[in-house]
Amino acid sequence: MDRMDDKLDALWAEYREACPSPEASADFMPQMWRRIEEKRTATVSVLRRLAQVCVMASVALAVVLGAVVIPHVQPLPVQTTYADVLADNHVNTYVDVLTGDIK
Amino acid sequence: MLVEFELIERARRGDDAAFNQVVQAYRKRILGNIARLIGRPEDVEDVGQEVFVRLYYSLDQLRTAEVFEPWLYRLTVNAAFDYLRRQRRRQESRMSDLSEQQVMLADAAAGGKRNEEEQRRTRIRELVQSLLEKVSEEDRILLVLKEVEGLSLKELEKIYRVNENALKVRLFRARQRVLKAYEAQEAQKSDAPKSDAPRGA
Repeated sequence: MDRMDDKLDALWAEYREACPSPEASADFMPQMWRRIEEKRTATVSVLRRLAQVCVMASVALAVVLGAVVIPHVQPLPVQTTYADVLADNHVNTYVDVLTGDIK
Repeated sequence: MLVEFELIERARRGDDAAFNQVVQAYRKRILGNIARLIGRPEDVEDVGQEVFVRLYYSLDQLRTAEVFEPWLYRLTVNAAFDYLRRQRRRQESRMSDLSEQQVMLADAAAGGKRNEEEQRRTRIRELVQSLLEKVSEEDRILLVLKEVEGLSLKELEKIYRVNENALKVRLFRARQRVLKAYEAQEAQKSDAPKSDAPRGA
């Protein structure tokens, strides 16, 4: 087992030597910046698409609300004031005074 | 540190020229790490570029320039891990294709272009890769960082943000598995000539 342990350690060392640090090609930096730009463009287009979806969803929701909810809304009961009620009960009082029925 | 903190700070604030300088300073080291982590020279640049693209977009999350190197190592480990996972999936979906070893043998036989030294290196890479396939991608990366890159447990602790004991246990288990696979391969190799020998000779 110890012998195999040693052999494995030697193999790691050989592997390290067999995989030297490579020199980057001349295209490395331009390609990297191209990828950075591509990612930036992709992010912007995703955000733009998300915004479009949000706007469309808002419009659709507004249409649905207008078509479905609004026809079912009950009109509010008319709030009458004391003066209105009094006037309703004495509709002809002013006419009566003018015609001389009330003195 | 291969660069001044000031340069990293400038890159963090969005200075592309400073970022370029940081990449140029760390490029060789990172490509070397990737070469040993993935064991495929033809894909090293691609994974290396991925590391620096990720660095570009995550640099604003870096709290201080002091933790830059473990941060960069972490990005390298993650990119290598993603690559290895993709490779494993690809290999599983192309079971009918020739194995890499077969392709290599065919290449060597047909062209004969590679010199002996390069062939020896390729053999070692293939052997180590076949042994590392016996453990998960996570353990494989951990083993390479420890055994091949020579990182200390303290350095690994910073990269993985896991305590030393947990790392030791994982390393021990992974090494045992690789050792077992190595023993099996060696045993197979020593058995091979006997079975190939003509009967009754």
